[in-house]
Amino acid sequence: MTEFIQATAFGLLIGGVYALFASGLTLIFGVMKVINIAHGALLILGAFLAFTLWEQFGLDPLASILITAPAMFVLGLALYVAMIGPLRSAPLSSTVLLTFGLALVIEAVMGLVWGNNSRSARPSYFDQSFDLSGIVLPKAQVYASIVAILVLALLWLFLNRTWTGRAIRAASANVQGAALVGVNIARVSALTFAVGLATVGAAGSMVSVLYPFLPGSHYIWIARVLSIIVLGGLGSLQGAVLGAMLLGLAEVYTQTYISTAWATAVPYVLIFVVLFFRPQGLMGTRLREDVAV
Amino acid sequence: MSTVDTVERIGLDRRLWRGVIAVAAVLLIAYPLLSDDLFYQNMIILSLVLAVGAVGLNIIMGYAGYISLGQSAFIGLGAYTVGIATTRIGGDPFVWVPLAGLVAAAFAALLGVIAMRTRGFAFVIITIAALFILQIVAINWDSLTQGTSGITLPLPRWDISIQNWPFYYTLIALLGASLLLSWWIRRTKIGTGLLAIREDEDKAATIGIDTPVYKIIGFMASAVFLGMAGGVYGYYIAFIDPTAMFDIVISVQIILAVILGGRGTLWGPVLGAATIEPLNELANQQFGGGNSRLLIFGGLLTLTILLLPKGIIPSVRDLLERRTKRGRAALVGGRLGERRALNGRPATATGGTGRNLLEVKGLHKHFEGVRALDGCSFAVEEGTITGLIGPNGSGKTTAFNLIGGTMRADAGEVWFDGRRIDRLSPWRRAYAGLGRTFQITRVFTDMTVLENVVAPLRSFSWRQLRAGAVSGEEAARAEELLAFAGMAEYRDERAEALSFGQRKLVELAQVLMLDPKLILLDEPAGGINPTLIARIAEMIRELNAQGKTFLIVEHNMPLVLGLCEPVLVLASGECISTGTPDEIQRDQQVLDAYLGADFQLEEPVAAP
Repeated sequence: MTEFIQATAFGLLIGGVYALFASGLTLIFGVMKVINIAHGALLILGAFLAFTLWEQFGLDPLASILITAPAMFVLGLALYVAMIGPLRSAPLSSTVLLTFGLALVIEAVMGLVWGNNSRSARPSYFDQSFDLSGIVLPKAQVYASIVAILVLALLWLFLNRTWTGRAIRAASANVQGAALVGVNIARVSALTFAVGLATVGAAGSMVSVLYPFLPGSHYIWIARVLSIIVLGGLGSLQGAVLGAMLLGLAEVYTQTYISTAWATAVPYVLIFVVLFFRPQGLMGTRLREDVAV
Repeated sequence: MSTVDTVERIGLDRRLWRGVIAVAAVLLIAYPLLSDDLFYQNMIILSLVLAVGAVGLNIIMGYAGYISLGQSAFIGLGAYTVGIATTRIGGDPFVWVPLAGLVAAAFAALLGVIAMRTRGFAFVIITIAALFILQIVAINWDSLTQGTSGITLPLPRWDISIQNWPFYYTLIALLGASLLLSWWIRRTKIGTGLLAIREDEDKAATIGIDTPVYKIIGFMASAVFLGMAGGVYGYYIAFIDPTAMFDIVISVQIILAVILGGRGTLWGPVLGAATIEPLNELANQQFGGGNSRLLIFGGLLTLTILLLPKGIIPSVRDLLERRTKRGRAALVGGRLGERRALNGRPATATGGTGRNLLEVKGLHKHFEGVRALDGCSFAVEEGTITGLIGPNGSGKTTAFNLIGGTMRADAGEVWFDGRRIDRLSPWRRAYAGLGRTFQITRVFTDMTVLENVVAPLRSFSWRQLRAGAVSGEEAARAEELLAFAGMAEYRDERAEALSFGQRKLVELAQVLMLDPKLILLDEPAGGINPTLIARIAEMIRELNAQGKTFLIVEHNMPLVLGLCEPVLVLASGECISTGTPDEIQRDQQVLDAYLGADFQLEEPVAAP
C-alpha cells in the first residue's frame, strides 16, 4: 500500500511538471492551430540554459526560471517572425514538418554547443528527500512541482484576468471573430508563441534538475507532449493538466509495477490506445466539421 | 496531379521527358558494369533505398495528404525480419526479402486500423509513436533482437568480383516495382479516392468513398517495398541494431525527398532521393555525421517548407505553365454553356407516390450546451421536391449532416428506403441512394471538372478499385451530366479555377453520378445570381420529372415556394409545420416562429 501511495504521489508530482511543459503547446495550438513538434527540443534547450547558469554562476536551477523564461520568450518572438508567422495560415501538415525540422536543428545546435554527454544540474538539495512516514519524496521533485503549479497559476491568471490574456483566449475560440472585434491576430499569435516558449523555458529549468538530459532526449519529450494532448485534447489548459497527470501516473505505475525499461514505452502505448478507442481524446469534443471549409 | 498528365497538358514534349528518364535508367543499370568505384556504388545503393521509401511515402503523403514521420520504421522492420529469419531459420538473406515486405505491409495495416477513425495530425502522431515504440521493443526484447548489441549477418558468399551487384540490382528492381505501383494507383479508382481524401475527406465519404479502406490500402502500399528495401539494406550493412535501423533522420530524409522533388508527382520522390543522398554522404564524410547531419537535414526541411513548399517538379511545371498560358484568354469566367436535356427515364408526371422515402424520427444532436436538433421528426415522400426551411440556427444543416452521415446523432432514427441508416457510414448511405451537396460547395479543387464528376462510387468492390480512374462508360455518363449542367466546356479545367456558381453545378453533376434516389441540396441558390438560380430550379424540375426525390434547404423564399411541395418548417431543432406552400404561408405558428409578424411575401417565381 505504501508503495502505491508513494507511486501515486510521485506520479502526480511529475504530472505537475508535465502539465507546465504541455501548457505552452496547447496554448500555441489554440491560437495558431500549429502543433509545435520542436516543443521537446525547446524544453531541453531551456534545461541546458539552466544547467549552464547553475554550473557557471551557481544559480539555483529552480530560481533560474527568472532568466530562462524571459530568454525563451525572446527566442519565441524571433522564431515567430522568422518562420512560424509566415506559415500561420498554412495547412497543419506544413507546420508539423517545419517545427520538426526546427527540432532537429535545435538538437544539432545543442550538440555542437554543449556536446552529446548526459548532463544534470545538482544543487545542494539534489539528492535529499522528504520522508513523510515512509513515503519518500525527493526534495527537487517537490520543489519543482510547486514551482510548476505556481507558474501554471500565473498563466491561468494572465489568460483570465488581463486584456491581453482575454485576447489570446478570444483568438483561440475564433480567429476571425477576434479579428473583427479588434484583436490584432498577428500580434496575439506572436505573443502566444512567445508565452508558450516562456513556459517551456520554465519547465526546462525544472527538467535540468529532475532528469539527466542530452540533446537527443527531446524525442521522449515529444512523445510525452503528444500523448498528453492525445489524452487531454488539444487547446485547453485543463485538458493539458489532466493529460499530464494521467501520463505521470501511468509512467510511475509502470516503473513501479512492471519495469523501468518499459516505462519509456508508456507514452506511445497511451497514444495508440487512446486514439484507437477514443479518437477525439478523453476530454475532446467533436466539433462541427461541415462549416470548417 | 500526376506530372505526366500535366507535362502533356502544357505541351512540353512528352517524348523528351520519357527520353530523359530512359537515359537515366540505362545509366543507372549500366553503372556497375562500367565503373568499379565502390564509393559511388555505395552512394547509389543508399539513394535507391531512399528512393523506394520516397516513392512509397508519396502514395500516402502526396496522394492522400497524410504525413508519416515514421517511414524508417518499415526499413527497420524489414531489416529485422531478414536478420532474425536468417539467423534463426537460415538460408540466404535474400530469400527472406519478400517476407520483409509482408511484415511491413501488415504493420502498416495495423497502424492504419488504429488511425482509421482519426484525422490529420493524429496520423502524424501515430507514425512517430510507431517508429519509437519499435525501437524500444528492439532494444528491450533481447531474446528476439539481441537488444542493443544487434544482429550480425553473415557476409555475402558470392564472388568478390561482382562487388555489390546483387544488392544494387535488387534495389533497382524494387524501385521499378514501387514506381509501377505508384503510377498504377494514380490512374485507378484508388488514386482518385486518395486524392479526394486529401482534398476533403468528409466530402469524399459522402460520395461513396470508403475512406478507411482507401487510407489503409494507401499506407500498406507505401510500406511494402520499403520493407523489402529495408531487408536488403540490413543485409548490405550486415549489422542490424535499434538505433541505426529505426533512425528518425532517415524518416526525415524520406520526407525531404518527397517534398523537395514534389509531392504527388511520380518522379519527384526519385529526383528528391537522388539529391538528398549525396548530401548525406557529404554530412557523414566531411562533417563527421551526428550533429552536422541533423543540422543539414533539419535545416533543409525547414527551408524547403518555407521557400519551396511545392517542390522542384511542380515549381518548374508551374513556371512552364505560366509561360505557355501567357496571353491566352481564360475559359473560366465566361458565360454559362448551353444546357442539354438528360437522357434518362421518360419524364412522368411530378408528384408524390405516397411512399415515404426518407423518415427522420426524433433526432437529437447537441453541441456542448447548444441543442441543434431537439426531437426533430419529418418524412420525405418519394417523388416530391420537399423544401426544408427555418430561421438561421434552426438545425437544417445539422439535420442534413445527420441524414448524410457526416455526423452521428445523439438519439433518434433515420430511415431511408425501408432501411434504418443512422448507424451506417456516409459511403454506405451513398450506396443506398442518398446524395448531398454542401452549403459552401466542396468540389475537389485540385482535380479537373471531369475527374470530380467521375469520383463518386455507387458501390464498393475490390475489383472496382483496380478500374481505371476515368473509364469509358463512366466518362460518357459524366460528360452527359456535365452537358446537362451546361458545364461541358469546362471538362478539363481544374475545379479550383471555377466560380462559386459553377462549382455548384459541378457538385450537382457529381452527386447525380451516384444515381441517387434522394438528393439533399443545401442552399442550392445561396450566393449565386438569378440566372443561375433559374437554371438550377429548371434542372431540379427535370430531374424530379425523371423520378428523383429532392430535399432542399433554402433561404430563397420565392424559389422554395415556387419549387417545393410540401414544405417542412424547422424551428429550434423541431419540425413545427408541414404543408403546401400556401398552407405554410398562412400557418400562424410558422409566421410567428420564422417570418415575423410584419413579413410581406413576394410573388413566387413562375414556372419556366
